[in-house]
Amino acid sequence: MKIHKKLGRHLLVPVALGIGASVSGVALFSHGAGASTTSGSASSGSTNSVTYGGTAGSGNAPITYLKLDPSTIGLGKTLFVENCSSCHGDTAEGTSRAPNLQGLGAATIDFWVSTGRMPLADPTIQATSKPARFSRQQTLAIDAYVSSLAQGGPAIPIVNLGAASISAGEGLFSTNCAACHTITGVGDALADSIYAPSLYPATPTQIAEAIRTGPGNMPRFGTGNFSDQQVADITKYVQYLQHPNNAGGIGLGHVGPVTEGFVGILIGLGSLMIAGYWIGGRAH
Amino acid sequence: MNYAPIDWADERLGIAKFTRKSLNKIFPDHWSFMLGEIAMYSFFILLGTGVFLTLFFVPSSADTVYHGSYAPLNGHVVSQAYASTLDLSFNVRAGLVMRQMHHWAANVFVAAIVVHLLRVFFTGAFRKPREINWLVGSLLLMMAILEGFLGYSLPDDLISGTGIRIAYSITLSVPVVGSYLASFLFGGQFPGNSIIPRFYTIHILLIPALMAGLLGAHLAIMWHQKHTQYKGKGRTENNVVGIAMWPAYALQAGGFFFLTAAVLAALGGLVQINPIWMYGQYIPYKVSYAVQPDWYMGWLDGALRLFPSWEITGFGHMIPTIFFPAVLLPGVTFGLLMAWPWIERHFTKDYEVHNLLDNPRDNAWRTSIGVGVMAFYMVLFFASSTDVLANAFSLSLNFVLWAFRVLIFVIPPVAAYVAYKLAQEARSASTAGKPRKAMVVFRSSEGEYSTEESDPRHELELKRIALHGDAPMPLPEEAKLHGDAEDGAPLKKGEDFAFIRSSAAAVIAEEIGERPSHGSGVYQVPRGTPGAGGGLFSPHGLKVPKERKGSEEEK
Repeated sequence: MKIHKKLGRHLLVPVALGIGASVSGVALFSHGAGASTTSGSASSGSTNSVTYGGTAGSGNAPITYLKLDPSTIGLGKTLFVENCSSCHGDTAEGTSRAPNLQGLGAATIDFWVSTGRMPLADPTIQATSKPARFSRQQTLAIDAYVSSLAQGGPAIPIVNLGAASISAGEGLFSTNCAACHTITGVGDALADSIYAPSLYPATPTQIAEAIRTGPGNMPRFGTGNFSDQQVADITKYVQYLQHPNNAGGIGLGHVGPVTEGFVGILIGLGSLMIAGYWIGGRAH
Repeated sequence: MNYAPIDWADERLGIAKFTRKSLNKIFPDHWSFMLGEIAMYSFFILLGTGVFLTLFFVPSSADTVYHGSYAPLNGHVVSQAYASTLDLSFNVRAGLVMRQMHHWAANVFVAAIVVHLLRVFFTGAFRKPREINWLVGSLLLMMAILEGFLGYSLPDDLISGTGIRIAYSITLSVPVVGSYLASFLFGGQFPGNSIIPRFYTIHILLIPALMAGLLGAHLAIMWHQKHTQYKGKGRTENNVVGIAMWPAYALQAGGFFFLTAAVLAALGGLVQINPIWMYGQYIPYKVSYAVQPDWYMGWLDGALRLFPSWEITGFGHMIPTIFFPAVLLPGVTFGLLMAWPWIERHFTKDYEVHNLLDNPRDNAWRTSIGVGVMAFYMVLFFASSTDVLANAFSLSLNFVLWAFRVLIFVIPPVAAYVAYKLAQEARSASTAGKPRKAMVVFRSSEGEYSTEESDPRHELELKRIALHGDAPMPLPEEAKLHGDAEDGAPLKKGEDFAFIRSSAAAVIAEEIGERPSHGSGVYQVPRGTPGAGGGLFSPHGLKVPKERKGSEEEK
């Protein structure tokens, strides 16, 4: 996938603003509550979904949360201090250059690091998706370290696509996501230098993480907005969009009729004009 | 062959005379005269594929629950229009390729009309006596754009629904009558349930009938006035030089129809267009980003994007901002377009009849105005994809928007100026565009080289080159060439060689002009007499008409 490199005015990405304030997160991100999960279902009393170490739920749960291995915290700390602390501070407490990460939850850290957005290439522009610097194990170790520093925030979601409905996902996606990411998920430029990135490289876990944590300018959709089931549905539809039903021939980038116009004029009319030139008379 | 049925029809309908005249009709043969044909053949394809689509499309906004074969929309409440378009695409045999051919044909149709219009404009073919056909053609362009927009709207998908929403707002923005117009058109407030069936009626009945009528008038007038022709050997204001309707032109045009059909079928079968299943049903509260109209509406969309959000008041009322880019601009555009023959005449005071076309370089003012206007609409067209451009080139959307706001004022005059200068330059180069005269290179018996332009004495050699290639050939003994100017003695065979560099095509073209007795040669007919004598039904077969005496005075 192409790597976005944006020019333009200074833009500090407000990392997950307000997520730290979601103190009810312990119950909000309860797993296994099924399609009816809303913030109201916090009374289910589920307490095993803590900042990290959420246990795997039953097999039918739409989303289970990854239990991070506490023994990797040491490795995570080393990696964090080497790669992240110059901006975020040794204990992720934040500096004037970058926000406090404590209490944001493993999902937030995992999204930013696993999509390659962190470490930042350029702090003046919107964080760019690029090849991740760390292996999966290293990323999980960093997640484990940061989420061990304070409680709170969602754990890393593992989406059970088998239990998700692609049809329900289409309805939710077109209502909530298409306005920025476009109906085909290809992404587009928003105001100034902000853009909604393409969803095509995203893994199911990254999609669910983004929905739950609201990275950058994206709104955060908590359990009051979407149940775990609905997050799984959207994830399944986005996965479908990455390889959609391309009936009808070569897809033209899914950016709307603009490419169709170019093909119609340049290839359609162009080839016919060449044909006309071929069979018609020339200069006298 | 048994001519009895033909005789029978002829005795009752008099078809022989008309057919003879028609089959002997002379058409100037030039590739640029075939641009309009692309549009006409696309129109035929549109009619054919469109009829197929009407067999399966349900023009209704009524709700239905979709349970078709496209799983991601299973169980959704959609309109019957949308559901039937999905079924047509996935469950009707050849349905999708027909729908895609229809859509590609529409894109090519309007594009061909525009290119045809440009050809007519830049060559001055709209001048007297062809102003009426210019008006008819302009109307056809307007209708084609409107027809395309209506057809694009019919599937009731998310993107086209957004377009209808914009059309509703544009209608509302017309001062005084806007709210009434919108209410009449939509049967009340947007979205209502009337718009899809109404668009359908207009799309498949009203506008196609009008277009077919106008197209017939367009062709009939062209037939009656005879086609224009470029300047060239033997071509005057009073004759038509070209190929006969039968067999040469008919076969060429028929072949071109099949080429057009082939290209459109290939696009329809191989390249996806408007995958409405990915867009979903239009629901007013849903919107997708990266939405543009089809290309021929792009300039209007671009104008909407570029126009600043000024609140302009007039007559004590605020005039909605979108009135200016979306109502006034197209009004002025088509107004000026249709008035152009008279605008130009106002300045040139040219009241003459013109059957010979201008070379665009010979009319630098018209060419530069045309290029400037074209550049203006091209900028608007590209401005309709500001978001896609910003995303593709990783630029700020605001920067792209402001860049276009500047370019819309900068590019047209620059383009017009460059076109004017280029036209002047091209005209001053006297040989530009003309077939080069053959140059003959001589070597004298002393080994001295000289060149001179060919003359009739070299004709034999030129023809030989045209037929057999550019290899030098020993001159025949009797050839009296300028070998050594001093003694003037004829060169002996084998001593000298003539190297001839020539535009072989030019030689061949001239040759055909003098050899009109073969079936598909180039013919000359006077303009005063359509068709000409002779023909299939005369006992002498095809007769080559000669320019008639007196045709010179007809002007």
